[in-house]
Order: sequence, then C-alpha cells, then structure tokens
Amino acid sequence: MTTVVEPTVATIHPTPKAADFSWARWLVVTQKEFTDLLRDRKSIFWALFAVAISGPLMVGLMYWLTTAVMDRVDKLTVPIVNAQFAPDLVRTIERQGMKIDADPPDYESRVKSGELDFALVVDTDFTESLAAGRPARITLITERSRDRSAPLAGRVSSVLNAWANQMGRERLILRGVSPVLAHPVQVEELDLATPEQRGSRLLQFMSFYALFAGLMGAIAAALDVTAGERERQTLEPLLTTPVTTLELTLGKWLAVTGINLIAVTTSLLGFVLSLHLVPLDRLGLPFTFGLAEYAGFMAVLTPFACMVPAVLLAFGAAGKTAKEAQSSLQMGVSLIGLLPLMSMVRQTRAPWWDAWVPVNGQYAVLNKVLRAETIATHEWAAMLAIPALIGVVALYALSRRLGDERMLAGR
Amino acid sequence: MIEVCDLCKAFTVRERRSTFALRASTRNVVAVDRVSFTAHDGEVTGLLGPNGAGKTTTLRMLSTLLTPDAGQARIDGADVASEQPRVRRSLGVLGDAKGLYWRLSARENIAYFGRLHGLAAPQAARRADQLIDELGLAALAERPTQGFSQGERMKVAIARALVHNPQTVLLDEPTNGLDIMATRSMRELIRGLRAAGKCVLFSSHIMQEVAALCDRIVIIDRGRVVFNGTPSEILAASGKRSLEDAFVQLIGSEEGLFA
Ligand SMILES: Nc1ncnc2c1ncn2[C@@H]1O[C@H](COP(=O)(O)OP(=O)(O)O)[C@@H](O)[C@H]1O
Ligand SMILES: [Mg+2]
Repeated sequence: MTTVVEPTVATIHPTPKAADFSWARWLVVTQKEFTDLLRDRKSIFWALFAVAISGPLMVGLMYWLTTAVMDRVDKLTVPIVNAQFAPDLVRTIERQGMKIDADPPDYESRVKSGELDFALVVDTDFTESLAAGRPARITLITERSRDRSAPLAGRVSSVLNAWANQMGRERLILRGVSPVLAHPVQVEELDLATPEQRGSRLLQFMSFYALFAGLMGAIAAALDVTAGERERQTLEPLLTTPVTTLELTLGKWLAVTGINLIAVTTSLLGFVLSLHLVPLDRLGLPFTFGLAEYAGFMAVLTPFACMVPAVLLAFGAAGKTAKEAQSSLQMGVSLIGLLPLMSMVRQTRAPWWDAWVPVNGQYAVLNKVLRAETIATHEWAAMLAIPALIGVVALYALSRRLGDERMLAGR
Repeated sequence: MIEVCDLCKAFTVRERRSTFALRASTRNVVAVDRVSFTAHDGEVTGLLGPNGAGKTTTLRMLSTLLTPDAGQARIDGADVASEQPRVRRSLGVLGDAKGLYWRLSARENIAYFGRLHGLAAPQAARRADQLIDELGLAALAERPTQGFSQGERMKVAIARALVHNPQTVLLDEPTNGLDIMATRSMRELIRGLRAAGKCVLFSSHIMQEVAALCDRIVIIDRGRVVFNGTPSEILAASGKRSLEDAFVQLIGSEEGLFA
C-alpha cells in the first residue's frame, strides 16, 4: 500500500532563522561546552597551566641573566700584559674598582677559547713613546662576537678612552692650546631611552608573550568543540534537536572565549606577581607594571581574546578530523606569531596602517602602554573595531559551515 | 505519522582517477529515488535494505539534516524542508552517527539534549533519571561515557533521543553491533514505544530484525522502494512460504540481508 501525499503548490517558506534564535538555548550550549572543556584535563587544563607559569619563568630568567651580567661587570678583573710599563693606567683602572691580573700566560689562546673575556697588551716601549710624544700603543684583544664578553670589553675600552682623552687634554692645556681646538666637532650621544624605556625594551617580550597567551589559550579548546565534535560524531544528533546553528556557533564561541580570557588573565597576573617579587630597582629598571598598565593590557587584550576563538573555530570546523584541523590551525598560528616579530626587527618607522593590522596593531599599542605613552582615540578604535569585524565574519562563516550538509557524518 | 512522497536525493561525489590526476571528476550518485511510504502511530515500520540502499539518507531527510532534492515528507503534517523547528520538536532521532560526549556522564549527555529540546533544568534532570531507570543504566549514570561498551553507548543514545518524549521516533540500525542480550532489550524498548502509541520507523539490513518487530515493512534497494506492506502482504505477493524467501525474491539477491 502506498499512500501518496498531495503535492502542495511550491510554497516552501524557508524558516526564518533569526526568529528561531533562543537565548536560553545559547546559554545551555555555552554552559555545556564550558564544563566539557574544563574537564579536558589533558589538553585544556595543562595549556592553561603552562600559560600561567611561563610568565613567572620568563621574569625569573630575565632577572637571572641581567644580574649575572651585572655581577661580572662589577667584579671585573683586567688582565694586563706588561703592566709595569703603564703604571698610570694601572692606577686608573684600580681606582675604578677593578682588579689587575698582571701578565696572564697564554692570553691570546685563552681569549680565543673564552676563558678570558679580553686582555690588554701594553707595548714594551710604551713609557718611552708616551714621554716622547709618539703614539703609545695599548692593544685590546677580545672576541666581540661572543655575547657575554662584549659588555666587559666595552666597559674596559671606555675606561681606556676616557683616560687617553684626559691625558690628551692635559697636554694641550700645558702647551697653552684650548682642548676645544682639537675637537672642533663635539659628538655627544644622547640616549633617548629613558630608564623607563630601557626597562620596557626588555619587557617588549611581555607584549609578545601576552598576545601569544591570547592565542595559545584558545587553540586546544577551539579544536575540541569543532573538529572534535565531528570526530566523535556528535554533530549529527545535535542538529536533529531544535538548536540552531547560530546558537551552536555563539555557544561554542562564548565557551572558548571564556577559556581564552582565563588564559590571558592568569598569564598577566603571573607576570605582575613575579615582577613584584623580583627587586627590579636592583636591575636599574625603575619599571612598573602597576594597575594602570594591567588595565591597559586587559583593555587591548580582551577584544583580541574574543576575536581569536572566532577565527580558530572557523578554521577548526574546516578539518574533517581533529588532526587535519590541527595542522591547518598550527600554520595559521605560527604565521600570526611572526607578525609582531616583523615589527620587532623593522628598522624604519611603522607605516600608518600598521595600527589596523590585527596582532601588529595590538602589539604596538601594548608597547605604548608599557612605555606610558598616550594612546590616540583612533588607536583605541582600531583595538575594538578590527577584532569585532573579523570576529563577526568568522562566526558567520562558522555558522554557515555547521549547517552545511557536507559537515555531516565525517564526509 | 510519517508521510513520504516521491522523496529524492542525489550526491555529487568527487573522484580522482589516479593519484596523479590533476583534476577530480564529479559524479552524481542517486542515493534515494522517488521513495514513498507512510508510517502510522501505534505501529512499528521497518525500513529494510542492503548496505548502501539509501536507508540512512532517507532518515536524514526525515530528520531535517538533509534537504530533499525533490518530493515531500511530512511528520504529523509538518513539512521536513520548510517547517524544520516543528519537525525537530516532534522527532526523536537515533541517527547513523550515535556519538556521545566522552567527558560528560550518561546523565549529563541525556539532560543536555533535554535542555536543547526546551525542558527546564529540573525537568530535564527528572526525565533523565526516569530514562536511566527504564533502560537499566543506573549503575553507570554518573560515569563519563568514555569507557562505555557498545551496548551501553547505544542505550545512552536512545535515552537521549527519547528525552523529550517525542511522538515520532526514527531509529537508524539500532541493533547494529549489539550482542544478543542487548538486541533483545532494544526490541523490548521498541515494543514499549509502540504500546505507548508512538510512530516508530526503524531501519535495518537484517531481515530477522525486521520480521520480529514490524507491523509494516518497506523494502528499499538501490534507492527505490521495491515493496511496501504488511508481512502477510509480502508473503501473498511473492507466493513464498517464508518471509526469508520472499525478501530474497524481491531484492533479487541474498546479499547483505542475513545476520
Ligand atoms: N554524504 C554523502 N556523500 C556522497 N555519497 C553519499 C553520502 N551519503 C550517502 N551516500 C551514498 O548514497 C548511497 C546510500 O547510502 P546510505 O543512505 O548511507 O545507505 P544505507 O544507510 O542504506 O546503507 C550510498 O551509495 C552512499 O555511498
Ligand atoms: Mg545506513
């Protein structure tokens, strides 16, 4: 027996999607995804943990490196060959609080091997030449390419130069010539890096790191709620319930954003706490990361941390399996990670549109926050408008994709 | 009641002739070809056919997951293509994909779907408890579903589909991969639904399964309905003594119909 349904005239009313939207269901989806994600001890929980402790680790490392260099500069010992020919120099060096290591054996090979950071060699005719007014020579042997030797050699060479200049000036004065004649042009170095700026130079890494936390916090979660849903074959049952793809999209987005905001907040808090524990003034950095800076960071990072999950979710839904999605995501993330590196090494000034490039713009403004510079209104506008725009586009793409027939059953 | 009239669905599949072929060619696969049948309330209707016959595709169109290319289907008068929300509210679906959320407990899996169907939290919890009792899941209710056996998973998936007490129930191969005991309890459950006056449509590629339960049988092969009627009508039409012989004659091969 075959019952035939009367074919109605073609009056198919596509269901009005906006009218079907239910706030209650949106929250139900959000709540479920959030609990589900937090139970994923293996990836999400440890990702949060890693993000939280890497800040303190970085501050600790920075502190340790800087103090190590300073200690070595303080306790500098100067190896001098033929020190007996330049007693004035020896006295000058000793007055600077440095020790003298007279006539070190094998100095050349030891400098090369790094056992000595540098060595001074006084020519045997130094005293005579100096007295006769001939050029008297002191050789500074060093290996500039070695990072840890460079600051020490630099310190000694500046002591030497100051001493030589002083001597030159005294001689000119003795001969009745103004020292100014010998230096018609005075080149003076005015270092624009105020102590604050020098401190923030080091902590530029912090901006980079904060942005990175805003990315890393969301990756595992975004993968789980999109590609994971397909892999576990739970999307099909879900779509047979009254839930709409827009509710699903927004619910997943809100849950992942929650995780991401936790990541950003804890990573920054970790930073702030460890910066307070470390005696920064001991490093000569009158640097503060106080409440104002924290607020500034959060103001920049919150819209960013809301945008990132949207983009990651759109990517994550593209893969058939979690693995496939993961590789496409990883590429995206490393590309994003390279953007601020570009502006770190750029020699020229940033072009005007740089503020409107996602990630780069955020990076620049975070640095301004650290340097306590004023941030223009249009920069704040960019911090809000660009993430909002990108986020909306990504969420729209995701909701279209979730409703796509091809998403079903892993085909 | 389910009314299906001339339902059609084709898929475009991309094929690469060889590993080195630059362009993939596309081919049209007709999965469902003018399928018509009716399933009534208080009856169990079986959709029988070998693998690839188009059972899953038909059920997916009925559950609004796929849009039909042509033809119509109505669930209690609501068109599956144009009245999605109404259809979804009245349907309980155990589809081809029966995945659960691993990190959520059986109870949470069931209650989540209750909430999506519009039950308030206490209502959903009560309904989940009730189903857990009925299906004998009490010992597992609080465990994450990750370590569940095939049969236990199937039970949770069924409970999830029934959480909103739907009038029409679609079951795609509900006994697939179950052992004898689990199969028996699944049959009991389906009989219970019939007794409660529900309209049950279930698909299977196993003849005995369908013969044991169904009031009405729709046999489909390569996307087409080759027979539609009660078991006695099948016997009469084929002139055979046993249903088994009748099935084989109708489909023209024994392939894939016996467990
Ligand atoms: N999403 C899809 N894309 C392409 N082909 C499909 C898709 N779904 C089903 N098919 C094809 O349609 C036919 C019917 O499949 P299906 O409905 O799953 O059969 P059954 O459930 O009866 O085993 C098969 O040939 C299958 O390969
Ligand atoms: Mg099937």
